Amino acid sequence: MGKPLLIRDLSKAFGGVRAVERVDVEVQPRHVHSLIGPNGAGKTTVLNCVSGFLRPDAGRVVLQGTDVTRWPPHRLVAAGLVRTFQITTLFGELTVRENVELAVRSRLGQNLDVIHQAGRLGQARNEAEEALTTVGLLDRVEARSDQLSHGDKRVLEIAIALALNPRVLLLDEPTAGMSRSEAERIARLVRAIADKVSIVLIEHDTEIVMSISDMITVMARGRVIAQGTPSEISKDAEVRRAYLGVVEAEMG
Amino acid sequence: MRRDVVSKIAPAPTAASLAEAFTARLLFLSSMALLLAFPFLGANEFTVTLLTEGLIFGIWAMSLDLLAGFTGLMSFGHASGLGLGAYTAGYFAQHVTSEFLIALPAAEIVVAVLAVLLGVVVGRISGVAFAIVTLAISQVLLQIGIAWLPVTGGMDGLIGVPVPTLFGYKLESGESFYLIVAVILILVYLALVRLANSPFGHTLQAIRLSEQRAAAIGINVRLHKCAIFVVSWLVAAIAGTLLVFMKGGTTPMVFNWYQSGYVLAVTMFGGLGTLLGPLVGAIIVTFLHDQAISLFKAWQFVFGLAFVLAVIFFPAGIAGIAIRTWNRLWESRC
Repeated sequence: MGKPLLIRDLSKAFGGVRAVERVDVEVQPRHVHSLIGPNGAGKTTVLNCVSGFLRPDAGRVVLQGTDVTRWPPHRLVAAGLVRTFQITTLFGELTVRENVELAVRSRLGQNLDVIHQAGRLGQARNEAEEALTTVGLLDRVEARSDQLSHGDKRVLEIAIALALNPRVLLLDEPTAGMSRSEAERIARLVRAIADKVSIVLIEHDTEIVMSISDMITVMARGRVIAQGTPSEISKDAEVRRAYLGVVEAEMG
Repeated sequence: MRRDVVSKIAPAPTAASLAEAFTARLLFLSSMALLLAFPFLGANEFTVTLLTEGLIFGIWAMSLDLLAGFTGLMSFGHASGLGLGAYTAGYFAQHVTSEFLIALPAAEIVVAVLAVLLGVVVGRISGVAFAIVTLAISQVLLQIGIAWLPVTGGMDGLIGVPVPTLFGYKLESGESFYLIVAVILILVYLALVRLANSPFGHTLQAIRLSEQRAAAIGINVRLHKCAIFVVSWLVAAIAGTLLVFMKGGTTPMVFNWYQSGYVLAVTMFGGLGTLLGPLVGAIIVTFLHDQAISLFKAWQFVFGLAFVLAVIFFPAGIAGIAIRTWNRLWESRC
């Protein structure tokens, strides 16, 4: 069994724009591996290519030793590669429970089951509650998911992802639009999940990135410009210029 | 948009909710009994025939509800499944046997093969593309129906389809045929309610709400769209089989686009995603249609206007109104 996730030489262009160019990322077991960079650096495009929602022009994606390049999303999920979205995309009309149960039943291969009645499948029910307990959302289990607070919605997204039993979890800006305390709640959750799952995290909040990452890959204009531990990255001159400097300038 | 009705998971039972469930079941059973007893309650031959047609139309509308209501796939060519069922069952009855329990499966097999082949294609598309491609399929079938003379009888269609038999017993009277239709309708309805509440039904609902999200939780979106497309055509073909026996034949016009538009309008009028709504809507429209034709020359104008008003003021359809009334009744009581 190889590394949880290897991204090799990944490239993707939209028309003439090279959104992602020859990107290499290597995710170690049980690491939180952050992908950072200014807007338009190509982070989400990398994530879309890896998770099967976009077809890369070139390069390879290897999941635990298996080449999964250009696999469709549902196959990748079955193989243990799960993602969340930058913009919350829950099944808004359904309850919290139903959202998670759909994921559990999907994992258990019950999507085509016409024999049973969905509400009576105990295993899906139990595992859904388990995932909700992990993220601390069990008290909202019967609420309609579009009536949750923004923070709870993002937490529910993570619960759904966990219900799929991922080996590798790709999180696209899980703290976007959150208050400080909510963002810290997510950060703690991500750190806790990393006990069992390797995580690729796209995140804008530098403080959170520095505190919870094991490894950081910095992108700018579609390319990887630096890779290293948080302390290495914070010392890197090029990163300061391309990214952190921008943030500092904005703040100052 | 609308709260899903069919697949609502019941909360923990209370005395009030048990009473509600009991009343609902009682209401359901008594309407089924009424449906079966209808021809023997002194209704005249014409009304029985009209209701037979309404029930067949209802099966067809429910089959469209699987696509349009459950899965969010607006088919503009839903005459295809109906017409194919009618032609294959009719042809089979003319050339092999008119035994209903053989002709129906025979038609289903032919329709299944075609639906799988086409489903592989239409399973890849959604939205407007799905509407246009399904419309195109039905128009191609219409042209085949007109052109393939030796099999389809061309513009005249199939004429003189024999009266169906059931275990050798000829279903000559209107009442006996009505009973077959009513029994099949009840079976189809119960099967589809079960399907709606099954994991598969919930998978379809997930696809309707967001194909992207569905894919992200590991649902093979194309496979499930293809599967429900096939199921939908199979149910439509049951309606087609009943229709060809009822009319003793069919013309290629069964495939025409206005048929597809009509059933889509009625399904929406009844209430998408509710099964019972499209069924009741189809029965009501069948009777209204009969009245309107004799009252107004421009009945299509009247029907069109009524439909527009219904969609504007009651977007959830008849079922929406019924559910709201039902809930209000129970709330005021408890």
